[in-house]
Amino acid sequence: MSESTPATPTGAPGDGVLLEVRDLAMYFPITQGLIISRHTGDVRAVDGVSFALRRGETLGLVGESGCGKSTTGRAIIRLYRPTAGTVTFDGTELTTLEGEPLRRMRRRMQMIFQDPYASLNPRMTVGGIVKEPLEVHAIGSPRDREERVRELFSIVGLDPDYGDRYPHEFSGGQRQRVGVARALAVNPDLIIADEPISALDVSIQAQIVNLLERLQDQFGLTYLFIAHDLSVVRHISDRIAVMYLGRIVELAGSRELHDRPLHPYSIALLSAVPIPDPAVEARRRRVILTGDVPSPAAPPTGCHFHTRCWLRERLGNPPECENVAPALVEVSPGHEVACHFVAQVEGTPEAQPPDDGRPGHQKA
Amino acid sequence: MALLSVSDLIVRFRTHDGLIHAVNGVSFDLDEGETLGLVGESGCGKSVTNLAVLRLLPQPAGRIEGGAVYFEGADLTQVSESSMRELRGRDIAMIFQDPMTSLNPVLTIEEQMVETIRAHREVSKAAARTRAIELLEMVGIPKPETRLRAFPHQFSGGMRQRVMIAMALALEPKLLIADEPTTALDVTIQAQVLDLLRKLTAERSTSVILITHDLGVVAGMTQRINVMYAGFIVETATTPDLFARPRHPYTVGLLHSIPRLDAGDDEPLIPIEGVPPDLRRAPVGCPFAPRCAWRIERCWTEMPPLEPLIAGERVTTTGPAATHQLACWNYATAVEASTGQPLRDGFVAAPPPATVIEALAAAGVDPGAGLVEFGQEGRS
Repeated sequence: MSESTPATPTGAPGDGVLLEVRDLAMYFPITQGLIISRHTGDVRAVDGVSFALRRGETLGLVGESGCGKSTTGRAIIRLYRPTAGTVTFDGTELTTLEGEPLRRMRRRMQMIFQDPYASLNPRMTVGGIVKEPLEVHAIGSPRDREERVRELFSIVGLDPDYGDRYPHEFSGGQRQRVGVARALAVNPDLIIADEPISALDVSIQAQIVNLLERLQDQFGLTYLFIAHDLSVVRHISDRIAVMYLGRIVELAGSRELHDRPLHPYSIALLSAVPIPDPAVEARRRRVILTGDVPSPAAPPTGCHFHTRCWLRERLGNPPECENVAPALVEVSPGHEVACHFVAQVEGTPEAQPPDDGRPGHQKA
Repeated sequence: MALLSVSDLIVRFRTHDGLIHAVNGVSFDLDEGETLGLVGESGCGKSVTNLAVLRLLPQPAGRIEGGAVYFEGADLTQVSESSMRELRGRDIAMIFQDPMTSLNPVLTIEEQMVETIRAHREVSKAAARTRAIELLEMVGIPKPETRLRAFPHQFSGGMRQRVMIAMALALEPKLLIADEPTTALDVTIQAQVLDLLRKLTAERSTSVILITHDLGVVAGMTQRINVMYAGFIVETATTPDLFARPRHPYTVGLLHSIPRLDAGDDEPLIPIEGVPPDLRRAPVGCPFAPRCAWRIERCWTEMPPLEPLIAGERVTTTGPAATHQLACWNYATAVEASTGQPLRDGFVAAPPPATVIEALAAAGVDPGAGLVEFGQEGRS
């Protein structure tokens, strides 16, 4: 998959856009006082996120803990009610939908969760877990459902006869296959996968990644793939959106992002990912960021990244960074960056791709 | 002489579920100033090996049932508990994955650091405090005088791990055991912490055992690597050698199952199918056999010994000239290692022999469970 076709400007409607997110914001109130609770502030988990997802593509949403990537996914699927912004799914506005119409739309969007231990009901058989969405959405007769469950089991690589077993009888990888089967049960268009492999052992992760890729080809699925591991996101995604403190700072084709990262944060993030090759590790240039990610309850003014930005310091701390939030601007077709000084980024040695000077892309 | 020499270590746990065969005869040496990586997945015995070195196995379940651990010539499995207590922290220090569970939540950082220093050194409280400030400064904690009075929960994850490093290095130990020190941290914070660890241990020529599941982290941090599977070391080599010439099917499998950030487009992942073995069963044959595409019949019944890749080669166990050794009856060739699958005309991974199937059935285990079948074309 992941042919980095030159991305058409995001958000241009009509060109097979399945999901469009505009200025999405999700604030969680902070309250004080036990008896009379006063609203004293907000955790700005998502603070104005816009992107579009085309039918059949995989968009990776990457960032560190607390950057708002999971909240974005959950707000899209309406596990939360967004504070502001719009989410348009195949022409239907989701943020204002309620009751039966919302339930019907949810049939077309499914979620796969991180922890296959916590996301499966331990008191239900795995067959029952996979069947539940079919019952909820009243799909087929009871006999059809039984058959569909067996079919789903074999699609995800589980023995169809295991349907009457309980989640604890399965390994982590098998449980995640159950989670995938449950998501597939209702034939969704969009699957939001929230860190679907982070809880799994290394040797098992590739099994699930390959399964998700095969299913995408087989059923024409569209993925929003949320993860913190940039290597995995780059492997599975056509395009990648990098988030920092509730905002997208860079959005580009996954090859383009790796070869030509333009936001100082993306550059630092890429440089921090360890590469399993001692020769490459020895000659890489790492951008070590100072300090920690600030709290989303009190994000920095202007550009959220300015407190840790290595470029800002070098440019003599220009006031824009502190005062004005940079907009996500398209700098080349399909490559959007939110930085006031994106023109100055490109010349820096830090902006060179991490494998610069490497003869090929072959594995040892 | 090596600083640390682990020889034929066997660790088992007695649990309600039966005997767990956690470490099944592990041997390795470590020189002064060397950084050794222990790589493997959950349950491979990498952490248990080091808990056994420090004699910190959970009691009463965990027991060293065989082997020896020589540290500066003394067998740590034999010394008294009081000399062991003196040794921990002073000569061998440890950093764990989650600093929140290794720091005392009800004591300030100052109380904990001063206590650690004074437990091993006869210095005044004021002197210990000055030393603590120095140490926090060394690990890059801003305003150390004020931060000393803070409690662990008032630090972020990255800062807590810095405090742990400061405490671990407080007494200038000869050996530092770091067990997944950055697994709980975000990637930019991981880079900070690894950078710090690398710098501080190099300056002091501290020996380090770095335990991790992340091949990327060991690639940049270690000189030598032991790959572990189900309580065995299955391959050991210098870091450059292991990555350039992986030979054990498990090592080969690991390298092919992780995506590389710098990989070309469309480079497929080759997963290791199946699941790790149940450690409640005493190992018979090679523990990787049920998942191995290279297995031959012998693999099912006989555990291969750890031997030099070049037969008969004189074995060097430490340093940059350490011998590449592996435990495998039918290891991957260079071409197979780079493609990730066996490439031999008509070769099919051997099915378990009848004796093995019978033994499993007699033990009440489904012989088909966990067995990965390989077609003629290799993996599907």
